[in-house]
Amino acid sequence: MSDIQTPRASHGAWLSPMQQQIFRDLLHVFSYPGRVAECTADSMTWLALLAALTDGEVTLADPHGLIAADIWPKLEARSGTPGKATFIVADGGRIMDFQPCTGSLESPETGATLLLRVAALGEDLDGGVPLNLTGPGIQGNTELFVSGLHPSWLIARAGLAAFPLGIDLLLCDERRFAALPRTTHIEIGEML
Amino acid sequence: MNIHYEFPLEEAGYAFGFLDEYAKKEVRRTILKAICIPGYQTPYASREMPMGRGFGTGGLQLTLSLIGTNDTLKVIDQGSDDSVNAVNMRQFVQLTCPGVEVTEKLEEATLIQSRHRIPEIALTETQVLVLQVPYPDPLVVVESSEARRKIMHAEADYSRLLVKLYEDIVHFNEITISHRYPTRINRHYVIDPSPIPRWDVPKLNQSPALILFGAGREKKIYAVPPYTVAEPLVFDDLPFRVEDFRDEHGQRRACTRCGATNSFLDEYSDDNNIKIYQCSDSAYCDGQLAQHQQREGKA
Repeated sequence: MSDIQTPRASHGAWLSPMQQQIFRDLLHVFSYPGRVAECTADSMTWLALLAALTDGEVTLADPHGLIAADIWPKLEARSGTPGKATFIVADGGRIMDFQPCTGSLESPETGATLLLRVAALGEDLDGGVPLNLTGPGIQGNTELFVSGLHPSWLIARAGLAAFPLGIDLLLCDERRFAALPRTTHIEIGEML
Repeated sequence: MNIHYEFPLEEAGYAFGFLDEYAKKEVRRTILKAICIPGYQTPYASREMPMGRGFGTGGLQLTLSLIGTNDTLKVIDQGSDDSVNAVNMRQFVQLTCPGVEVTEKLEEATLIQSRHRIPEIALTETQVLVLQVPYPDPLVVVESSEARRKIMHAEADYSRLLVKLYEDIVHFNEITISHRYPTRINRHYVIDPSPIPRWDVPKLNQSPALILFGAGREKKIYAVPPYTVAEPLVFDDLPFRVEDFRDEHGQRRACTRCGATNSFLDEYSDDNNIKIYQCSDSAYCDGQLAQHQQREGKA
């Protein structure tokens, strides 16, 4: 009897109570850009976030082949090209090699959400590049430290389109995640 | 024998929070985009709820998509926890979200759903305010085509709305909007902040808490993120002002129940047809009253 494992129901990223918790963390990081949330699910951060957000209504692009073939049916999302997909998951350490959708003037909400895998991020991190953030959700200014993020993502994000158009970034490391919505102004600081 | 087997529950006809997971996910995705584009009316597929549209279905769908078992919910209608709409909404959430706590005390709540008022005491970062919205678009008074309104919003072209306000000044020497005052968010989109009185409009500016707006019938969700600029639409030479609660002698009227002189007051007539004033925010009024009683008890 003792070898029967109790299901880790409370930590499964595919179960609705966990997805509700992850969503509330997402709500928090999008409301307060630069703050870092801990991912409590027992899968990779970016995958747990995708599990909480996608279903058959969205298109998902995976230009760097991060999603295993057996995960796709669970996400339910339709596969799309990086230029058109509503969600894009990519390796933030690589150079940005596609142009995501920034939405249209009448419907800016169609601008893509990018989930970028980075080496590490934190509100205070040794060896990280400091990003100085200002904008809605930030009282004055705040700093977010990231390592393993190619600068091309941040440069493209600023240069692609002007508000209300744009893309929204979610940076994910092993266990944590932070959001950079299109309204956040980023100044890249000197590495410590 | 499978020791983890549980008999199917007879009453478990609905998911936690009444909405199915697909509906919740769609509302959640829409909320996140609404936060990313402050003030933009993000369209979503408003679901059929077991109550008429116009009874707060937009706010309720937001609440049900947000809520989890570790939340404490407060529901208010025109400032009161005990009016019909609030009581019904609260009961519905209790019925469909087992494990969720409800409260009337603002400081205990993590989620606050409100109709037509923002609580008197300032919200905190750990709280989310959900407002029920009957008419989401402030431009509807000057432009009937939604396609054209969307372009006007995108270009932040509010000249015709400003002309409407100016006409008010010409006629009445004052902008005569008592509630739903058009408010500009993050210096771009102008929102209809739901029928909150002018008194509550300044609370939208640089609020520590996220404020979400749900219009169920009009199928729109929009947000004022925390620490975001929210400015009522005005002219340089005619500043925005809130309701004036001074009597004919210039004295600030006080609540007849708790004596507060710093709250939004509702006007009633008593049995002798004499006007009396009382706090609109009933929980605030109760709190003030309790403080007075405590002080008197000590004295």
